This record gives sequence, structure tokens and C-alpha cells, in this order.
Amino acid sequence: MASMADIKITNQLHQFAAEQHRDEPNWLMNRRLHLADTYLALPLPVRQRTPLKNRKLDRIPILTVQPDALASDSLTELLKLVNLAMVNGRVVQIAIPQSWKDKGVILLSMKDAVQSVPQLVQEYLGTVINDEVDKFQALNGALWQDGLFVYIPPRVALDEPITVMHYGDAQATSILPRNLIIADKESSVVIVEQYLSEPGAAKSLWSAATEIVLKEGAVMHYGAIQQLAPAAEVFVRRGCTVGRDAVVNWHIGEFGAGLVVSEHLSILGEPGGKSESTTVFFGSSNQHQDYTAIDRHIAPHTTSRMVARGVMKNEARSVFTGITDIKKGAVGSDGRQKEKILMLSDTARADAIPSLLIEENDVFAAHAASAGPVDEATIFYLMSRGLSKPEAVRLIVQGFLAPVIDAIPLGPLRQDVWNAVERKIAQ
Amino acid sequence: MATPVLEIKDLHVEIDGKPILKGLTLSVKGGEVHAIMGPNGTGKTSLAQTLMGHPHYQVTSGQVLLDGQDVLAMRTDQRARHGLFLAMQYPSEISGVTTANFLRTAINSQRGEGKPIPLKEFRDKLDDAMRFLEMDPKFSNRYLNEGFSGGEKKRNEILQMLMLKPRIAILDEIDSGLDIDAIKVVAMGVHSLIGPDFGALVITHYQRILNYLKPDVVHIMMDGRVVKSGDSSLAKELEAKGYDWVRSELLHEV
Repeated sequence: MASMADIKITNQLHQFAAEQHRDEPNWLMNRRLHLADTYLALPLPVRQRTPLKNRKLDRIPILTVQPDALASDSLTELLKLVNLAMVNGRVVQIAIPQSWKDKGVILLSMKDAVQSVPQLVQEYLGTVINDEVDKFQALNGALWQDGLFVYIPPRVALDEPITVMHYGDAQATSILPRNLIIADKESSVVIVEQYLSEPGAAKSLWSAATEIVLKEGAVMHYGAIQQLAPAAEVFVRRGCTVGRDAVVNWHIGEFGAGLVVSEHLSILGEPGGKSESTTVFFGSSNQHQDYTAIDRHIAPHTTSRMVARGVMKNEARSVFTGITDIKKGAVGSDGRQKEKILMLSDTARADAIPSLLIEENDVFAAHAASAGPVDEATIFYLMSRGLSKPEAVRLIVQGFLAPVIDAIPLGPLRQDVWNAVERKIAQ
Repeated sequence: MATPVLEIKDLHVEIDGKPILKGLTLSVKGGEVHAIMGPNGTGKTSLAQTLMGHPHYQVTSGQVLLDGQDVLAMRTDQRARHGLFLAMQYPSEISGVTTANFLRTAINSQRGEGKPIPLKEFRDKLDDAMRFLEMDPKFSNRYLNEGFSGGEKKRNEILQMLMLKPRIAILDEIDSGLDIDAIKVVAMGVHSLIGPDFGALVITHYQRILNYLKPDVVHIMMDGRVVKSGDSSLAKELEAKGYDWVRSELLHEV
């Protein structure tokens, strides 16, 4: 059970990677070994408002074969609902409708994709996310266990979302999923991921990475709801390269885990590309949530809209950093962001940090951010109509989040987000 | 249910240590409309807010009883469920919550756990009330008070009153900012409830709304107290002679 702190020798890490992934081609194994070295060489990331040192992340074992899924009725039921199910970092089920296969859609586990479509994996893996950007990303790059691989052929539109479940049981210590999604020209696809885990005493480390490549005119809706147990310490990175006139829509719901450090990045590298991103988060007890959203405008006439709404209660702590980054040459681009946080307690803390980095003149950029407590006059007004204080607060929270959640165009995802919010309110 | 009785006895109230109400006594029964008139800053709104339990007002002495029960010991929501209602001068705007959703939540909390109002029954009731108040049906799907004009907010307060059917309603300057047609609608709303089960306490600056509400009793409030009470002719007299007349009368009494 080697943890980060115990791994002093490069050989140990190399040996583990080699044993676990002996079936992989050389290029991939070399990539893993190189990132293993990067992982060892890099210090813990320094995040201004998120101290990582005292969380003892280096005590969580990472060189461990994760346990097999324990059969249980509830798990079996859960897995029936999704196209691809992962337990403790391993794919345990894939179900693909025949109609998708007929259209030429490739939906595989990443491990299978490495074997059956190696050229696609080799061409795109690591092109959206830089695996050397920090220690936990390098860990994912070196030791990722499995994940979702999707290829959508040109002009194919899927009528139903691709659904993915990530489940961790209480015995799992490190879960490192890796997704690669390629949507070819003018295709359209919806992907929804759920993250759940069994509550347990021992900490688990999650480092998850999703890379999305959108070709010319492709449209993607990507939704993710994270409701992991409090013992989970989570690092998430998502990125999308947006092709000419392509559109990525992010719908991110963050509710669980003890620590979350999460980032999503849209790279608008071709003219006419567009990114729309919505993040809803709700912190309670002593959760620490640190989100970054980045819209990087490189090509002319690219558009981005970033919205975040958060609710904080108890002693929870959140940071939301929104970056609209307009590079030289991205003329005629339009990037806007808006963050709003509702504080339900005096002991919670939230920072909304919008930033506009603009190198070009002929652009439009705007931001707005606010954080404030529940209005006492509003509580009084609602209570004067017979609502108890908890009912009044619930209505105010619902009202605060409604404009953002109700705008999610995917019915089941919208309902799941509402359900997650209800659970957080009741907690 | 028995006819409601709201009794306010020698009520003293402070805000941040500053006395606002200084021994106010008054009682309202079902079937009655009482009007409270008085110049600005005399404590009329403080009285309304105190009766509903606004946390900024501290009662230092006196009693408020509804059917003999101690209102001051109740939380704001309990007062509402006992049948008190306050139509506010400045209703809060609540983004993201539709008027219909809010009303249904309010009715359901009044009815208690496990007895929610059936949707159809609620819709019918709401449609009737809105038709009666000559409101646009789209109104119920707008976010509560958000972007409403002053008049729309006041009408919405009366709509809530009709839906919640309180036993004693306090209307705090419901007429301010309303044109004459809107005032007629408000008066109609109050009259539709008046009966042995419902009484109203109407706070106003102006005689105008009283022409339509026809109060049984008019109280003049000054410096935190009721200084003069009478029938509806008192309001007319006040309109004609002004508050200085009341002041000079008070001086003569002393």
C-alpha cells in the first residue's frame, strides 16, 4: 500500500505502471512512464485560497490495485441506467443501442480503444489537456485506469444522451478515470456523467480528466454531476478544443466530496467557435470547493458565455475563478461571465474572482460577480405568509438557482441537478 | 370558527433602543374595518411590522392577543397560521419563484404537513381570485414581485390575502401609489372577505381609500399612540382640518 509519501524511488512507480498496463503499446507505456517522472518531480500545486498541504493527500495509497466491484442490488440497478459504468476506476459495463452502432458511433472503454482504435487514441490523447500542468494531472496521465472513449462520425446526431456512471466504493483509494471524446464534423452529441461514491472513513483520491475534441460545426452538450462522499478528495480537469463554428455547452453540477479542485477549459481556436458554460455548486458542512473556468479565445469571432451560481452553508468554503482570456488576433470575439453566490451562513466563505485577460482591441468582454447573504426582509415576507424559516430559505435558494438550472436543455439532467440541490438544502 | 378578536393593549415598542410605540391600545373584531391615520413617522408601519413579528422591533411592554392567545410569543409564521396577515408597504421581490408557486407553497404550509391543496383546486381558486381582481392571467407565472410596478405589487398583496383567507388583515398603506381604479379593486377585495370571520386594520395617509372601504372605526395616531378614535366622519373632518387640528385639540385637553 504505497502512498505518495512512500514513493521515493522512480522504479517503484514505473514498475506499478508497467504491471498494470502491460497490454498497452510502447508509445502509451512510454507516455505513462514519462508522466510518472513528471508526477514525482512536481511539488504539490500551490493554490492561493486552497491550502493542500494540511490535507495529507500524500497519505492516500495510489500504488494499489483497486478492489473489484462488490455486487449489490442497488449498484446493479444503478448500472442498468447508463451506457457506460465504471466502478473503482474500471469499466464494468457498456451498453450501446444498435442504432448508434449502425450510424458508425464508436463507444468503448479507453482500455479497449487503445487496442481497437489505437490511431485515434494516439492522435488525440493529451492534445487538449496538458498532463504536465500539475502533480495530480500528471498522476492521472501516468496511472489512469480506464474511462470513456467516444467517436461520433461526421453529420451523425445522437437522439439520446450517452450516460456514464463513475462509482467508487468505500474500499477504493485512488480512482483515476480518463475520457476522450471526439465529435467529427457537424455531428451532435450529449454526454452526461455522474460521480457517486459510498461513504466511508478512509480518504480516497480522485483525479479525473476529460478531453473533448469538436470538429467543424459539431455541437456538444456535456453535463456532469458530482455527488461523491465527504471522504473523497477530488481533482477534475476538463478541456474542449472547439472547431470552426462548433459549440460546446458545459453543464457542471458540483455538490459532493470533501475537497474539489476542478477546472474546465474551452479552447476557441477556430473562427466562429462558441462556448457556453454553466456551473452550479452547493457547499455544506466543511467542504472546500475550488473551481476554475477558462474561455480561451484564440481565433477571431469566437464567443463565450460563462455563468456560475453557488450556494454556501455551514462552514463551507468556495472559490470560483472565471477567466475570459482573449488572445492577440481574436478580433471580433465576445466573452462574458457572471458569477453569483448566495450565503446561507455567516461562517461560510466564498470568493468569486472574475478576470478578463485581453490582448486584442476589437473585442467585447464583460464580467459581473456578487456574493451576499439571504435578505432578512425577504425571509420576513415569506414567513408572514405562513412559511417556516427553513421553508422560506428553501424557496429563496430554489429561486436563486432556478434561472440557471431551468435553462439546462436536458430534462433528466435538469431533474438530477434539482434533486441534488434538494438533498443539499435538507442536509 | 369563532369571530376573531385582535387586542392590542398598552403596546410599547423600540427600535435600536429608540421608543416608537408608546402605549398603543386598540382592538379589532371580525366584521369590522378599522382605519389608522396619522402623519409620517408616527409609528403606523412600526405597528404593522410589530404585529407580524418583524425582528427589528423590540416590544418592551404591553400585550397583543388574537382570540386571547399571546401573539407576541409566536414566530412570524405561527402568527400567519393563526390567521394574521400583513399586506406590506414594500413587498420583497423574489427572483426565480413564480407567484403561483409561492402561493401554493404558502397555502400548503397553512394547511399543514401531508394535506397539500390539489393542483386543480388551487388553479381554479387562483383563476377566480385573479379574475375578481382584474389581473392578467400571465401574472401568476411571473417571478414574485420582480419587476412589478407599485400598483401590481399592491394588487399582488391583495391576491395573496384572498388566497390565504386570513382572519385579521393589516393593510399597510395599500393605497399609496395606486390610481383610483386600483383603489376600487383593493376595496372590493377587502369587502369580499368582510364578515364575521374577517376583520381589517387599514393604515393610510389618505381619506380617499376610506371612501370605498367605509371603515367602522377611524383612529388617529400621533407620536406612537392612538390619540383620537371615532366613526368614519372623523376621517372626513381630519381631511378638512388637517393634523394640526388634532394637535391643538390635544393641547387643549392637557
